Amino acid sequence: MNPPPIVPTTPRGLTFEPMPEPQNAASILETLLKHPGRIVHELHHRGATALPLWLLALGLLGMAFYGVVIGALSGGAQFMVAPAKMALGTLLAMIICLPSLYIFTCLDGIEARIRTVSGLLFAAVCLAALLLIGFAPVGWIFSQSTDSVPLMGALHLLFWFIAVGFGLRLLNAAGAIFGRGARTHLKLWNLIFVLVCLQMTATLRPIIGKSDTFLPREKKFFIAHWIDSMKGAKAD
Amino acid sequence: MIQISKALIRGDAHELAAWLTAFDLERALRCCLLILVGCGIYGATLGLWRAPLQGAFTALKFPLLIFLTCAGNALLNGMLAQVLGSGLSFRQTSSAILLSFATAGIVLGAISPLILFVLWNAPPLGSAADVTGHSIVLLTHVGVIAYAGVLANHRLLRLLEKMSGSRSTARRVLFGWLAGNLFLGAQLAWTLRPFIGSPQLAVQFLRGDPLRGNFYEAVFHAFEHLFH
Repeated sequence: MNPPPIVPTTPRGLTFEPMPEPQNAASILETLLKHPGRIVHELHHRGATALPLWLLALGLLGMAFYGVVIGALSGGAQFMVAPAKMALGTLLAMIICLPSLYIFTCLDGIEARIRTVSGLLFAAVCLAALLLIGFAPVGWIFSQSTDSVPLMGALHLLFWFIAVGFGLRLLNAAGAIFGRGARTHLKLWNLIFVLVCLQMTATLRPIIGKSDTFLPREKKFFIAHWIDSMKGAKAD
Repeated sequence: MIQISKALIRGDAHELAAWLTAFDLERALRCCLLILVGCGIYGATLGLWRAPLQGAFTALKFPLLIFLTCAGNALLNGMLAQVLGSGLSFRQTSSAILLSFATAGIVLGAISPLILFVLWNAPPLGSAADVTGHSIVLLTHVGVIAYAGVLANHRLLRLLEKMSGSRSTARRVLFGWLAGNLFLGAQLAWTLRPFIGSPQLAVQFLRGDPLRGNFYEAVFHAFEHLFH
C-alpha cells in the first residue's frame, strides 16, 4: 500500500525532500544533522528497512559511547557496565513507548504507518545520541575533576535533556508535516517518553556509581533514587 | 597578517563570510598566531601584578585556555550549528569561532599597554594597600575581557546572520555556542588556575593536583559558606 501523498512543508526549517546520497552511516548522520527533513521523507516514502535499522543501530551505539564517558567517573567495570546500561535502557524505553507513540499519532490525526513512526522514533534517538557524543569531551573533563555522583548525575541529565530535546523537536516537526491539527497527544507522549527514560536511571541503577550487582535488588522510583543518592553523598 | 587583523577588526560580514567559505590551513594558522600573540601578551599583563614569573606562566596559559575550549567544544558546536539550521559545516563552525577568538585576541593585545599603565599605578604587592591593588587589577581585567568578549561576539553574530540568512537562527546558534564555551571555559580556567595569582599563595604554573575539584563545586561551596 502506498503512503498518502504529502505536500512539502517546512515546519521549524524542516525541508521535506528526497535523500539524494547513497545510504551509509556517514551520510545518514550528516543528513540527520543538516537536513533531517530528508530522513523523514525517506522513512515515509520508501518501504526499505535499511534506514530505520541504521538509525536504531547508530542511536544505540552513540548511547553506548556516551556510556563510556559516564563510566569514566568510577572507572573499572563501569567502563563496560555504563555503556551496556545506556544502550539497554534506551532500547527498553523505545520498545515500551513505541505502541503508545503510534496510537497517540493516530489520535492526533497524523497520517503515518507504524514503520514510519518507528523510524521517526529511531531518528529522534539517533539525533539525541549524536548530540550526546558532542557533549562527551565536556562530560569527560568534569568526570575527571570530581568524585561526586550527584554532581555528575545532574550534569549528565542536563546534557541528556538538551540532546533529547533536539530529538523530540525532530519528532514533533515530523508530526507537523504529517498532521494538520493540534498535536496534543504527541506532546503528552513526549512527557511519557522522558518519564520512562528517567525511570530507567532507577530501574538499571547504578549507571554512574559503583555496584556489586548489575541490576538493583530493590524497586524504586527515580525521584526516590535521586534523593537517596544525594543523601548518600552528603553522608560521605 | 596585518591585512587579516584589519579585516577582523572591521568585522565586514561580507568579507568574513567569503573567508569562511574558503577557509584554508594558512588562514587557520594565522588566526591561531593572532590568538597566541594577542592573548599571550594580554596574559602576561594578567599575571604581572603578582610577579614577573606569574606573568610568563599566564602568557602561556591564556592562549592555551582558548585553544582547549575551542577543541573541547568543536564537535558540539558543529552539531549545534547544523541542527539549528545555520548551514555551517564542522570546519566552518570551528573557523568562525577561531575568527571570533582572534578578534578578541587582537583587541586584548591592543589594550595590553593600557593594562601596563594601570599596573604601574596600582598599589604593588607587599605595600600597605596591596589588597586594594589586587581588587583594582582584578576588576580592570574583568572589564577588559568582558569588552573584548562582547565585541568579538557581536562580530560573530553579524557573520552568522550573513551565513545563515536569518537573524533568529544566528541568535540561537550564537547562544548555543556561548553557553557551551562558557560552561567548558569556566571549568578549564579553573583547572589552569592561577591566572592573576592570589597575594597569599605561591607563584605556580598550576595549583597542586589541578584536575581535583571543579569550578561549579567551588561556586556552590562559596554560597554554602555565605549562607551558613
